[in-house]
Amino acid sequence: MDFLHPTLNHFLVLGAVLFCIGLYGALAKRNAIAILMGIEIMLNAVNITLVAFSFYNTVKPFSTYLTGQIFAIFIITVAAAEAAVALAMIISIYRKRSTVDVGEINLMKW
Amino acid sequence: MASIYQYSWLILLAPLLSFVVIIFGTRMWDLASRPRAAVANDAGHGHDDAHAADHDHDAHGDDHGDQAHNDDDDPKVPALSMGARVSAYVGIFIMLVSCVFSWYLLLNSVFNPGVLPYAGVDLNLHWSWGSAAFLAPYEVRFHVDHLALTMLVVVTTISLLVQIYSQGYMENSAGYARFFSYLSLFTFSMLMIVFAANFLVIFMGWELVGLSSYLLIGFWINKKAKPDEDRPQPAMAAIQAFIVNRIGDVGFIIGIMILFWKTGTFSFAALSNPGPQSVTQAFAGNSTLLTVAMVLIFCGAIGKSAQIPLQIWLPNAMEGPTPVSALIHAATMVAAGVYMVARTFPLFVASGTTAFEVIAWIGTITAIYAALVALTQTDFKRVLAYSTVSQLGYMFVGLGVAGAYNPTEYGAGPGMYHLFTHAFFKALLFLAAGSVINNLHHATHEEVQDMRKMGGLAKFMPITAITYLIAAITISGIPPFSGFFSKDTIIGLAEQAGKTIPSFYAIYGLTLLTAGLTAFYMFRAYIVAFGGKGGRFGGFWGSADGEPELYRGVGTPHEGPWTVTVPLILLAIAAIVAGYWFGLFSYLSPTAVNVSPADLFSDPLTWLGVGVAVVGIGWAYTLYARIGMERVHKVVEGNALLRGLHRLTLHKFYLDDLYYWLTKYVFLGIAHVAAAFDATVVDGIVNGVGKTVTGLGSGLRHVETGKVQSYMYGFFGGVAALAVVVLVLVLFAQGGVKLW
Repeated sequence: MDFLHPTLNHFLVLGAVLFCIGLYGALAKRNAIAILMGIEIMLNAVNITLVAFSFYNTVKPFSTYLTGQIFAIFIITVAAAEAAVALAMIISIYRKRSTVDVGEINLMKW
Repeated sequence: MASIYQYSWLILLAPLLSFVVIIFGTRMWDLASRPRAAVANDAGHGHDDAHAADHDHDAHGDDHGDQAHNDDDDPKVPALSMGARVSAYVGIFIMLVSCVFSWYLLLNSVFNPGVLPYAGVDLNLHWSWGSAAFLAPYEVRFHVDHLALTMLVVVTTISLLVQIYSQGYMENSAGYARFFSYLSLFTFSMLMIVFAANFLVIFMGWELVGLSSYLLIGFWINKKAKPDEDRPQPAMAAIQAFIVNRIGDVGFIIGIMILFWKTGTFSFAALSNPGPQSVTQAFAGNSTLLTVAMVLIFCGAIGKSAQIPLQIWLPNAMEGPTPVSALIHAATMVAAGVYMVARTFPLFVASGTTAFEVIAWIGTITAIYAALVALTQTDFKRVLAYSTVSQLGYMFVGLGVAGAYNPTEYGAGPGMYHLFTHAFFKALLFLAAGSVINNLHHATHEEVQDMRKMGGLAKFMPITAITYLIAAITISGIPPFSGFFSKDTIIGLAEQAGKTIPSFYAIYGLTLLTAGLTAFYMFRAYIVAFGGKGGRFGGFWGSADGEPELYRGVGTPHEGPWTVTVPLILLAIAAIVAGYWFGLFSYLSPTAVNVSPADLFSDPLTWLGVGVAVVGIGWAYTLYARIGMERVHKVVEGNALLRGLHRLTLHKFYLDDLYYWLTKYVFLGIAHVAAAFDATVVDGIVNGVGKTVTGLGSGLRHVETGKVQSYMYGFFGGVAALAVVVLVLVLFAQGGVKLW
């Protein structure tokens, strides 16, 4: 294996692994903060994939444009905003109910 | 050149104008000018009429002398408001103008042949439902020809006289203005039938007269049934009339649809004149279907003209005010069936003789049946009602026999001739009967229609008696009054047709017998009501001074106001002279041969007919003026055979009871089964679908856990499943599964 010369597949595998870790965290954790962290990992996994595709794209006309990178920057921006809103909500919920366990936050059920 | 006949649309729309003016104008004025309480407050009889709670008829009369409040349950008004009076004036004035104009149109075309061609004139007043080609047959179109003019003068004249008469008759009735608006609506509807140029318009008019008839029969809406007199509630009678007419109309509309299906047109002219849309071409080689269509169209006439088997509604329709009985249920609307057959006569001719034979036989059976029933009725108006049914039967005999025997030479002439004369003398009979009822109402404060409570009335109301007598002679067929000419033409025609079609001898015999029965029951009614045993002129008049009183009721009746008597006198003149229009046959059809009075008088069979009528009159005279009503009754009750026959005709051969039984046990039985089917099966399907969906929903809602992670399982699981599907599809698309 030539780790000094990584190919597209390396990055895609890294992205997929990170996505799965993040997904596991988002699905399995009870703590709302931990779920938020899982989501952040998933977002960054997607970012890696996008940048990798952009970097390794051999179709000339598109490789000159930084489409994937710009996508990634947008996602980072939106993720920051999302994290801010989500944290604010979590704090608000904690103040009301003294817990951030999503198992107990089920007011919206049937 | 715009002929003057183009302007007959004015006559058509005039009653509609008076209807609109009365209902939105003068009736509002009438309602606004008196407090609502005045309608419910029976000031005329001096007590509170709001007696729905303490409904006690017999208690009245203590404080008010003989003014027993028993007449009917409808509110009475003490005096008519100006708005109510003006409503009547509006209706009468507009109808007077229409009547004069229509008489001018008729006389102009009679005395100036050629001024109106036989084909008639299409009025410029017409419209279509749209300009698209497939909508072209659906148009409202009016047409005036000789047949229409003949009917037109009948309708406008009777309508005018009845409206004048109603001023006196309806004087104390609440809803006076409404009554006149209904009369105008009826006249408009009837004129739509008269002027109709196609089946679409005639059917609309047909339904509109049905509506007006319904509204007017049930005019006294609060009046109760009188079971002891075998009289139904007016509201019920109105519903019965409406429903029975609808039964006939089902046949009518199916017949129209068959014609339209084959020819693609509704127009009478296009159907009868030679051309690709004519019934002769469209039904070439398929005359059975055409016969079926024409018999179905005749079903409409059976319903409207109260022929067997749909005759039951007309006697019950007598529960309406008497002017209504005269206008609608004697002179005009019930004759619309005859007019419709006359109007579609060429189509019947094209269908062959079968349909005409059906018409002739239905007419004959109805004529004899109604005459037999009329023999024993004791209700003054019901005798006339059955007489109307019987005379309408004559008209259909005239149409059917003429059509089956020799349509070219007679055309619709005999039927229309009898329609024309009958309209006047039957309206007269009804208005005279109404005059009696009205006058007795004023004398007794009760609604007396039973002849056994009358007797010797000629002394009290001579004008009514004389005019009634004239009408009775006319309907009996005594020369030289109008009924003689029209009725003997029909009877003679049946005899003549018998030479070609032997079965018509039976029709001849039955119609001749009916003529005798007619004379009997009309004079029975006259003598029992106006004369009696021991009266003057051998029992034909009321009792002389010093003789025992013949009047069997209470109080002293008087002749009515001029509004009542003047129409009677005018109609009596019309009843005498209407038969002298011998040119009617050739006026209606260019090929027809006119009635010849000389031939009529020289034919011995004519005198046989008159003889039968005289025997009928003589028999009535013997029974009711010589022997006396009570003794006749005793003899009939004492003899088992006579008693049985009496019961049979008194109960209308139990046909009404049969229909009642059929309705109650068969039709309502079917209705209950259908209702049960609807409630269980149809509703079951609908409710089942609803319950299934509700059940599914209440099961599935448990998926909504409120836990965000379970949603995420669903979401990502779905994405994963989709990804697998896409992968498999892509692999298949690339040519089979090839794992690296």
